[in-house]
Amino acid sequence: MAKKTYDLLFKLLLIGDSGVGKTCILFRFSDDAFTTTFISTIGIDFKIKTIELRGKKIKLQIWDTAGQERFHTITTSYYRGAMGIMLVYDITTEKSFENIVKWLRNIDEHANEDVEKMILGNKCDMDDKRTVKKERGELIAKEHGIRFMETSAKSNINIDRAFRELAEAILDKTAGREPGDSVDRVMKITLESANRISGNMSVQSVLTQNKCLPPS
Amino acid sequence: MAYKARIKEFDALLAQDVIRLSSLKKLAFHGIPDEQGKRALCWRLLLGYLPEEKEIWSTILREKRLLYKQFIEEMIVMPGENEINGDVTTGDHPLSINPDSRWSTFFRDNEVLLQIDKDVRRLCPDISFFQQPTEFPCEEIVNSNNVKRLHTRVQRRVLNCANVERRGLGITKIELSKKKASEDYAPMEEGKEAHWEVVERILFLYAKLNPGQGYVQGMNEIIGPIYHAFALDPNINFREYAEADSFFCFTNLMSEIRDFFIKSLDETDHGINTMMSTLLTHLKFNDLDIWLKFQQQDLKPQYYAFRWITLLLSQEFPLPDVLRIWDSLFSDEHRFDFLSYVCCAMIVILKNHLLDGDFSSNIKLLQNFPPMDVQIILSKAVELSKRKLF
Repeated sequence: MAKKTYDLLFKLLLIGDSGVGKTCILFRFSDDAFTTTFISTIGIDFKIKTIELRGKKIKLQIWDTAGQERFHTITTSYYRGAMGIMLVYDITTEKSFENIVKWLRNIDEHANEDVEKMILGNKCDMDDKRTVKKERGELIAKEHGIRFMETSAKSNINIDRAFRELAEAILDKTAGREPGDSVDRVMKITLESANRISGNMSVQSVLTQNKCLPPS
Repeated sequence: MAYKARIKEFDALLAQDVIRLSSLKKLAFHGIPDEQGKRALCWRLLLGYLPEEKEIWSTILREKRLLYKQFIEEMIVMPGENEINGDVTTGDHPLSINPDSRWSTFFRDNEVLLQIDKDVRRLCPDISFFQQPTEFPCEEIVNSNNVKRLHTRVQRRVLNCANVERRGLGITKIELSKKKASEDYAPMEEGKEAHWEVVERILFLYAKLNPGQGYVQGMNEIIGPIYHAFALDPNINFREYAEADSFFCFTNLMSEIRDFFIKSLDETDHGINTMMSTLLTHLKFNDLDIWLKFQQQDLKPQYYAFRWITLLLSQEFPLPDVLRIWDSLFSDEHRFDFLSYVCCAMIVILKNHLLDGDFSSNIKLLQNFPPMDVQIILSKAVELSKRKLF
């Protein structure tokens, strides 16, 4: 038998429309590289990465799913075992954002009630093609009490952070802390942003600080 | 020597006026030689596109190729072409809610096209073939000022912005910010067409002609190897019609495996779930140890075999190996029984690793099949399929 080289095992799931970059996000996180040459995911794919969090070795078992409707019957069977779900849309594709609601409904139907969720607006390096404003992502996340981040697998923005935050949230839960602080967290981020803007800083600089735009 | 003898056998068989399919299957099951476009020709026969009687080939090919040309003309609908003087009040217009409206068809089609476009641009990225221009582009389309190219219909457009610098009076400098497309699957210039654009058209026409099924991800991986084999045929008379011929062969092949792609048929006799349980039955029969290990680890065939079966293994091996495997699959008397044995052989061959591995490493191994001589797998599969007879 293989030796147990970790303290905790977290099962994560990546979902979202086809082509939003789920596989690229996962590849960036697991192999720290980016390539556009990915074949489309059929069914379900899989990667492992061990991270250290608060002195604990945590093995992340991450399932990467196919986005198209046809594969939902197989992919939804993974929802049940997942402890964390990353819901990805593409900031340059309006439709993928609109479908977030549909994906959330899927989670409600198939996942454990206390699953940790996070919404990711991917491809934030392509600001010139953006059709979904960051605020809209923040708003929908806030409405559902979910964490939110804009990411870029290509420019390596927030990828590591997203996985760590999700893992941390699960760790909080498994450590028996009071759940339900996720709403506060998003609120806090939004409030912070608001303060910065009112503090005479441009939206641009807020975005820069959130590392979603290169500093000009 | 043995290889040369095999080529001779193929030559002898293919030279006959009536090519017995049963003989061809026996021969092709052990692999079709890469030379002289033999594979492309044999696949045409094995997939039922060409009949056994050679004398009617030319008639059939002419008819089918003409039919395909008509499909292109009729189905790559371009609304707006027939509008007179731009008067849209009486006839068809983009906001028409009439279900017969050519405009509403156009918009509906674009939904399908969007998905196809995403997938053909990521077809076989490890070889450059699909990014190369074809010798035989569809003339009406490539010389249409980009209007009729399918992918331009789903291109994401953003308004151009310009930096305007003012110096003193008047504008002195307008700088359009241009971003160079660095994409590998970038569209070609006027008059040229990349192979992936051809594949896009084939899949689009298939989706239009099979509205009940439409386009499902993974179909690109089925048409890919067929088109590749046909478009590289050394015989120019065949190569020129690679698009039309591979369309029909793909359609025939899909008629046999389409149930894998249809969710509502998952539980039926030819659905994907039945195939996966057949595989498990083979495994249990042939190697109880691995079967038990999988049970114990709750390692379901959905995790690996779903993709293996749906795509006929096209994503598991490099293209030359896929072609070789497909020779056998297409020659299978009971299509696609042999596929389940190939899948079973793949598992059995990895026995030592699988019995040692934990859940994660086993999934990883099965999803990223290690490079090996594909002949070993096929021989094992034959062995397993024979064992069942007792």
